Amino acid sequence: MPTLAAPSSTLVVALAGNPNSGKSTLFNALTGLRQKVANYPGVTVEKKTGRCQIDTDRFAEIIDLPGTYSLISRSPDELIAMEVLRGLRPDTPAPDVVVAVVDASNLQRNLYLVSQLIELGRPMVIALTMLDLAEPRGQWISPEELSKKLGVAVIPVSAHLKRGLDDLKRAIQMAKPAPMPDWPIPNAMHDELVTVGGGLAILEEGNRDGYGFSPTHANRLDRYKALAERLLIGDRAADIGPLSRQEPVASLLAHAASRLQQLGIDPMQADVEAHYKWIESLFGGTGLQTAQPPGLQTHASGGRLNYQPKATTFSDSLDHVFLHKFWGLGVFAAVMGAIFISIFFLADPLMGATESVIGWLGAQIGRLLPAEGPLHDLWTDGIVAGVGGVVVFVPQIAMLFLFLSILEDSGYLARAAFLMDKILAKVGLNGKAFIPLLSGFACAIPGIMATRVMENRRERLATIFVLPFMSCSARLPVYALLIGTFFATFSAAARGGILFSMYALGILAAAATALVFKRSNKGTPRTPFIMEMPAYRLPRVGNVLRQVWLNTKQFLVKAGTTIFCLSIILWAMAYYPRLGEERLEKVASQSRATIDFYKFQGLARPADLAGTGLEPPGAMKHNGETIRQWEDQVRQEEAAEAVASAQLRHSIAGRLGHFIEPAIQPLGYDWKMGIGLIGSFAAREVFVSTMAITYGAGSEDDTTDLSTSMTEDRYPDGSKVWTPLVAVSLLVWFSIAMQCMSTIAVVRRETGGWKWPIIQLVYMNGLAYVVCLAIFQFGRMI
Amino acid sequence: MSSDDVGVSTRDSRGPEACSLRDLAVGCAGCVIAVTGDRELRRRLLEMGLCNGARVECVRRAPFGDPIEYRVRGYNLSLRGEQALCVSIDPQGTNQSA
Repeated sequence: MPTLAAPSSTLVVALAGNPNSGKSTLFNALTGLRQKVANYPGVTVEKKTGRCQIDTDRFAEIIDLPGTYSLISRSPDELIAMEVLRGLRPDTPAPDVVVAVVDASNLQRNLYLVSQLIELGRPMVIALTMLDLAEPRGQWISPEELSKKLGVAVIPVSAHLKRGLDDLKRAIQMAKPAPMPDWPIPNAMHDELVTVGGGLAILEEGNRDGYGFSPTHANRLDRYKALAERLLIGDRAADIGPLSRQEPVASLLAHAASRLQQLGIDPMQADVEAHYKWIESLFGGTGLQTAQPPGLQTHASGGRLNYQPKATTFSDSLDHVFLHKFWGLGVFAAVMGAIFISIFFLADPLMGATESVIGWLGAQIGRLLPAEGPLHDLWTDGIVAGVGGVVVFVPQIAMLFLFLSILEDSGYLARAAFLMDKILAKVGLNGKAFIPLLSGFACAIPGIMATRVMENRRERLATIFVLPFMSCSARLPVYALLIGTFFATFSAAARGGILFSMYALGILAAAATALVFKRSNKGTPRTPFIMEMPAYRLPRVGNVLRQVWLNTKQFLVKAGTTIFCLSIILWAMAYYPRLGEERLEKVASQSRATIDFYKFQGLARPADLAGTGLEPPGAMKHNGETIRQWEDQVRQEEAAEAVASAQLRHSIAGRLGHFIEPAIQPLGYDWKMGIGLIGSFAAREVFVSTMAITYGAGSEDDTTDLSTSMTEDRYPDGSKVWTPLVAVSLLVWFSIAMQCMSTIAVVRRETGGWKWPIIQLVYMNGLAYVVCLAIFQFGRMI
Repeated sequence: MSSDDVGVSTRDSRGPEACSLRDLAVGCAGCVIAVTGDRELRRRLLEMGLCNGARVECVRRAPFGDPIEYRVRGYNLSLRGEQALCVSIDPQGTNQSA
């Protein structure tokens, strides 16, 4: 058989198929690690391509199209698939061969897409997957029989066992287009198509280039009829849209549509039904039925095949438990709990380890730089901290995607969506939003990335928008500091209650915002929930690991760069302008004077001694040397803290804090908190350390000093800066406001632009402002 | 079955035995008569196989009542009640074999 193109050229092969049909596994088996993932320009649909060797000196460029159920519906995935297959995209070459991945355990629905692929007229091969699942479900089919009926090669493949791949590669090289079946459309519609087809013929006479349909349509009339049908059912893709508007085609179409409507025929419906009729006729003959295992009951009355599985499959038995009213929810809670606990608790030590490694590496390289001065600080506090700030998310992201891939591959994800859909639908979201939202309680970033499992763009956007309301783990140090300091007199239970309310507040805000999203879309029809429940299967290790790797890499490259740049900027804001030497000396000596004062008094603040390993003067043995050591050490530490504090107040960040003070005062905050809020933009937990530095109050690990400073802080008029009301106001701010620049970077990446992150930023902070204002002002009146 | 039946959307779908997919009790089955609703929804439901008198069986409902899982053309499909409402069927009773 002649091959398709010159032997040394690269074949372009497109993989098309239903979701859950094993297409991605086949793609991975064919391309191994030689894969590239990008985006189709202009849309947020992933473009996956890879290289594969199909012969001794021949390569194929394989395009893994998004999994679709059809080529003519409106979702971005289906549009892309259709455009690529028709060669309409300038960024992607038209495929030479189409490999249709067909799930043998799900034959009829899979063949629907195949029927549409046949209409494209391109050389085609069918890769038949999941044959091992087909038999228990009572849908056995022999590949030979199917091949005979369709007129193209049908190759059984078992991608994860790598069987059949060589046959597939051979078949690809010898592929030819499938013969076009006679779709059983209504006679009236058939007549209209001939009429419209005639009009198209007239049009083409004057157009040398033709319409881009494959020249292998033997019969020209067939070609025009096929084109006419595309137009009649409403397909207005880029290559044929203009045709529908030109005469005589335009008026012929209009007349055809109205005549059919009078007969009660809807072309779109007729088209779908005709395709399924054709599929059913494939099963009506003897070949497929005799190949069925005993015990299967089927009827083939009038070409209809009604499946009745002979026994419940393993999947069905599992679902009996997993989707049970009581046990199902129990299993669900257990699985979600396990995921959440792992991300929340296991990630912490991993993150700490990552930070240590980065810190160590940074210190090693830092030795090559001058020991003091801006370059050194830029390296240590700017670059290393910046990189660390990005890489620190990797354990959480990797872990979440590990769980997510396992859930998706095994088929449980669909069950989770099924169980949770009702609740989430009430606020205009979708069952698949549950796991992303849950992850948001650990960290919003992996949660936002996890929304990729949601195919519906509008609901995915709504989920991303409300996700940051889920109180992430970074808020916890802030909650702990504020509740511990200002509600110390409350009972442990009460304090726990306040903590819980902050989480509840976040959930409430999320639900309310989602509802607003839902209402604002009232004009457009509600997006339907139509979801396939795939059979359970063991997740493939290779697939899972590959997913984890790809997603983590994407995060590092895309979001990572934004986060890194923003953290350098924030560092510079807190660093410059520098205080002069004179000024620093003054601050240091002032601080020493304070220490001497304490010493003279025979008092020493406990915090002064933390980490020195020495005891207070009163209890010390009167060893002059030891006392002096202690004094020097404490003086140095205190001086350093005072210097850092003065430096921060003098910097841009500090001045900004003063600058925004009038704006935040109605909420009860002062300029020091202003600095803290600005600092927390890098990461919420940075608020604590920024406050510590501002107050010159010791290291982040021990906040007793900070707590004391905060409670003692007073305004010039003597009134306390920090009151429980102020604390509440600040707690609510942290619960509602959007502060994390890393989140913004990821939202930008996932939504493909700055529009939504900015709207989110303005909305969430605006909401926080209004609510905290109300709380503080109202609270003052009581 | 002649191809003239195909595509006709004005068949009488409100006969004495017609009901919607949503009315189907768990364990019961029926054959699809017609699909209503807006164009995109109709196309989706038709393309998923709810056409040509296909046999649909109600497998289960979610713990909170919605969505509902059906079995059609050999696979499991879940729909929300409001989508199931758009599919009118001719109920058959449970597990007929003739």
